[in-house]
Amino acid sequence: MTRQAFRDALVDLRAAVFEMGELVLDRLESALSALETGDDSLARDVIDGDDEINRLYLDLEADCIDIFALEQPVASDLRLVAASFKIITDLERVGDLAANLGRYALSSQLDAVPAVDLVSIGRVAKDLLADALDAYERESAEACRAVANRDDEVDVRCQAAGDRLIRDLLESDPEIDAWALEAVLDDVASVLLTIRDIERVGDHAVNIAARTLYALEGEPELIY
Amino acid sequence: MSEAKLDGPEAKRAASTQTTSGETDEHIEAAWTNYGTDQETKLAVEDLDVYYGDEQALRGISMDIPAESVTALIGPSGCGKSTFLRSLNRMNDRISSARVEGSVTLDGEEIYQEGINLVELRKRVGMVFQHPNPFPKSIRDNVAYGPRKHGDIERGLLARLLGRDEKAAEDELVERSLKQAALWNEVKDRLDDNALGLSGGQQQRLCIGRCLAVDPDVILMDEPASALDPIATAKIEDLIEELAEEYTVVIVTHNMQQAARISDQTAVFLTGGELVEYDETEKIFENPESQRVEDYVTGKFG
Repeated sequence: MTRQAFRDALVDLRAAVFEMGELVLDRLESALSALETGDDSLARDVIDGDDEINRLYLDLEADCIDIFALEQPVASDLRLVAASFKIITDLERVGDLAANLGRYALSSQLDAVPAVDLVSIGRVAKDLLADALDAYERESAEACRAVANRDDEVDVRCQAAGDRLIRDLLESDPEIDAWALEAVLDDVASVLLTIRDIERVGDHAVNIAARTLYALEGEPELIY
Repeated sequence: MSEAKLDGPEAKRAASTQTTSGETDEHIEAAWTNYGTDQETKLAVEDLDVYYGDEQALRGISMDIPAESVTALIGPSGCGKSTFLRSLNRMNDRISSARVEGSVTLDGEEIYQEGINLVELRKRVGMVFQHPNPFPKSIRDNVAYGPRKHGDIERGLLARLLGRDEKAAEDELVERSLKQAALWNEVKDRLDDNALGLSGGQQQRLCIGRCLAVDPDVILMDEPASALDPIATAKIEDLIEELAEEYTVVIVTHNMQQAARISDQTAVFLTGGELVEYDETEKIFENPESQRVEDYVTGKFG
């Protein structure tokens, strides 16, 4: 085996990306717990922790650029670094979405829109992300395809939640006073945005699976 | 890669197995080497075997080299890539123990047929070597050497006496060849200086200019930049890319990044004189079919 330092750099990169993924998953779970339990200090931790994820992202981005510049990877090595370079962007975005969720947890009244179970949809999206990361770590093409197939579940549930919310709004008491209506509209708007954020977590999970599949097989089939 | 794979890669792994020594044992699949392009084929090699005495240096090589493009030949030392290059203009004929079987056609014409004119063949299929080898003569004489030798241009005392001296034609040819070799601006004011006074990179471009002066179809290059510094190398690489607009360039290089930078298609030869994979350069360096090629380009061999 030659180029041992380079091989070590690839192993380190893979481990660091996975670690970043674990951290993001952890933040996402904390945000969902905060939303579930109304734990404001947990929500604040998630919001404050986003800086750490951003720094980690920039460090790993620099690592990838160093490998490109100094080692000029080719074939499966090239695909691993290229895929990782993209995957960390997805993870950084999920970090932002977790922080958004934390902010929403701070501002929301738990029973304002009881019809929509954001936490349980959020957990489905989070599991999808966990599976994508697992596929990356285990180098499993099969698991990558499974993630892509399951994203529909998140999409469908997000769509249904949004529809439910609008339907509730339309069916609400027409005699409601102006102040109360204002409050409900604000609430509905932020719930819709949060649903959108959760849907995006699922999309990022699929991106990660697609890039991993590219790294493994060189086939861009999931990348669209 | 512990997971069972679906479709594509499964076929890929099926062709290779890890031996106990950690080396990859793999049979070469026809699909890995029969690379086809829309471009016209300049050189077609069919089932080529080359032996040095009892030693077989190339085993059943078949590949089509498209016109007006850069084809890179890569592989470890002793894999036969230089032997392959030399078999394209019958330079191996100069080695007495070398024996060639199989077929190489240039524009459809067999170059290994009886009675072929080797001087004419090597005029059409020119060669540039690893170390620049200008003649110890003036820059002008180096470029004009081939055309004078082939009788394309008449110079000298006899020509002058007979009133057939073609100085103007030669001037024009020297200028054109040196411009094509991206050397003209650096030497136009000292064409009568000795070529050995040029830098290594300039000497190599002079050798390319000398090769171009006889108007070849194909230019074979055997590690043309390996003795040069990075700037001279970059100039040669730029030049190669330009030449490919008009000529068919086949280049042997140990520098894989150079192959990746300048070639349109890459052929990978591995130990034993086998052509293991031949494809678009992007494919070879991003997602090769052969596990052994993967191991070689990523530096995991051995």
